[in-house]
Amino acid sequence: MSKRRLSQLVIYILLIAGLVVVMMPMIYMVSTSLKPNGALYEYPPRFFPKLREITLENYAYILGQKKFIGNFGNSILVSVLTVILSAIVSSALAFCIARFKFPGRSLLFGFIILTMIIPGTTMIVPQYELAVKLNTINSIWGLIPFYVAWVIPYSTFMIKGFVENIPKELDEATYMDGGSILVVFFNVAIPLAKPGIASVSIFNFLTAWEEFPWANTVINDDLKRTLPIAISGFFGQHQFTQWGYVFALSVLSLIPILIVFISCQRFFVQGLTAGSVKG
Amino acid sequence: MKFNAKSRMQILLLLLPGLLVFGIFTVYPIIRLFWMSFFKWDFGSFLDQEFIALENYRTVLADENFRIAFTNTIVYTLITVPAQMAIGLLVAMLINSINHVKIGFRVAYYLPVITSWVIASLVFKYVFNTEGLLNYFLTNVIHVTSQNVRWLDSRWSGMTVAMLLGIWKGIGWNMVVFLAALQTVPLELYESASLDGAGSWQKFIHITLPGIRGTILFALVMLTIGGFNVYTSTKLITGGKPGHDTEVVLSWMYYKAFSNGKFGYSAALSFIIAIVLAILAVLQFRLMQNKDEG
Repeated sequence: MSKRRLSQLVIYILLIAGLVVVMMPMIYMVSTSLKPNGALYEYPPRFFPKLREITLENYAYILGQKKFIGNFGNSILVSVLTVILSAIVSSALAFCIARFKFPGRSLLFGFIILTMIIPGTTMIVPQYELAVKLNTINSIWGLIPFYVAWVIPYSTFMIKGFVENIPKELDEATYMDGGSILVVFFNVAIPLAKPGIASVSIFNFLTAWEEFPWANTVINDDLKRTLPIAISGFFGQHQFTQWGYVFALSVLSLIPILIVFISCQRFFVQGLTAGSVKG
Repeated sequence: MKFNAKSRMQILLLLLPGLLVFGIFTVYPIIRLFWMSFFKWDFGSFLDQEFIALENYRTVLADENFRIAFTNTIVYTLITVPAQMAIGLLVAMLINSINHVKIGFRVAYYLPVITSWVIASLVFKYVFNTEGLLNYFLTNVIHVTSQNVRWLDSRWSGMTVAMLLGIWKGIGWNMVVFLAALQTVPLELYESASLDGAGSWQKFIHITLPGIRGTILFALVMLTIGGFNVYTSTKLITGGKPGHDTEVVLSWMYYKAFSNGKFGYSAALSFIIAIVLAILAVLQFRLMQNKDEG
């Protein structure tokens, strides 16, 4: 074996070893969800269930509960609406900031950068006050507008980068043909910035899908919950935590994310690296 | 280019929805927060707030629990940020040097990033529980200790679990970002260095690191912000216990507001976090620029 082949082999072994460590918690989660839901902690704890022990009873329990199906629906609705609404408003903002000088433009951009630095959770007190005033406590409408506002800075910032890369001559050609600003926005900017919009949309889906502190503050009705709140809700509710249920629901809630991530992997990497290479 | 009235209306039409949502749900709360931080504002004085200038800020800074939470957050950031950057860069360099299944490794290493904080925290809580898998492994399989370690019941072991989770979850993001950066470093540089007899370590120090400096800065700024964002993991893993020993700044802010009703205090604390982060971001940019010139 040549020296080069040997070093390649060593690298593959290192990568696989690292991967085993990285995947261990996820494998343990899946394996626990397939074990019978016994006492608080099994003794001795096992990494893999015995073959004859493997059961789907935890999944059957979760899927048999109306409230969890409802939670799933809430999560889908909240995430999809957040993605659609934020894609529309952020690309419009990005297009205007990239192409036009309007009063307050730098102030707006300043606030966008500022809110990318400040952790969203710091605003939770005045936001809660606002949600109470708007009477959206315990409703998915207490989540969606806040999530959209939350993801606007990053989305606008990223899409703006994509719009700036569109040659201005394309805009001007459309204006020459008598097209209005709205025509340029819909027929030039949106189609050409699509990869950017797609990549931020994946992030926004993930953000809304997994958001915990805000939803945990605004929603306390079992039926109105989103999945992260439903999963953490297994604690304190029962005297014993039913870990089998916890992880069965966790695995189920990961499936949509995996589908979105694997099918849109190309856009995902594009979005991530656009920010980093520029930065 | 000059725009007529119709064009101005159309620009306004495009801006309006975004401005409204961003203005009402983000900008207004920030201003409101700033305002609240100067008032005595709690459950007892809900309708009648008294202006107390910087008193809330003084109370926060003198509070022993805040200092613990702040120290925990700083330690969390100082440990998790370099660790995930180093491991992420190492994995990226390994993936960059292989010829097959690059994308497969990239996807697999990224999976922890898309696992939600809630789920990841619960898995770690389960593994590190006193009756959990790790203790069983330590006491009954490799026999390094005869008694179960109470990981989640003391300050630094509890924080260690949260930090391990942070590192585990962050490696994939760093890997993807650094992998893209590595591909922008010109291969000729490595080839000519090889001709000059440079070893791998020298190439890493003199070519790779300078070549990806911009990305290192980007990751540093983003991850520092991320470090101060830590909340869900400590909340679910230790709940801030024992006492308030494993509280981080955000969970302490949350506790003071929603369990203690001290809204003015929480507002001041939020602003202190924002100011610290803004200063850190500026400092990190400066530091990197200086290195550029040097």
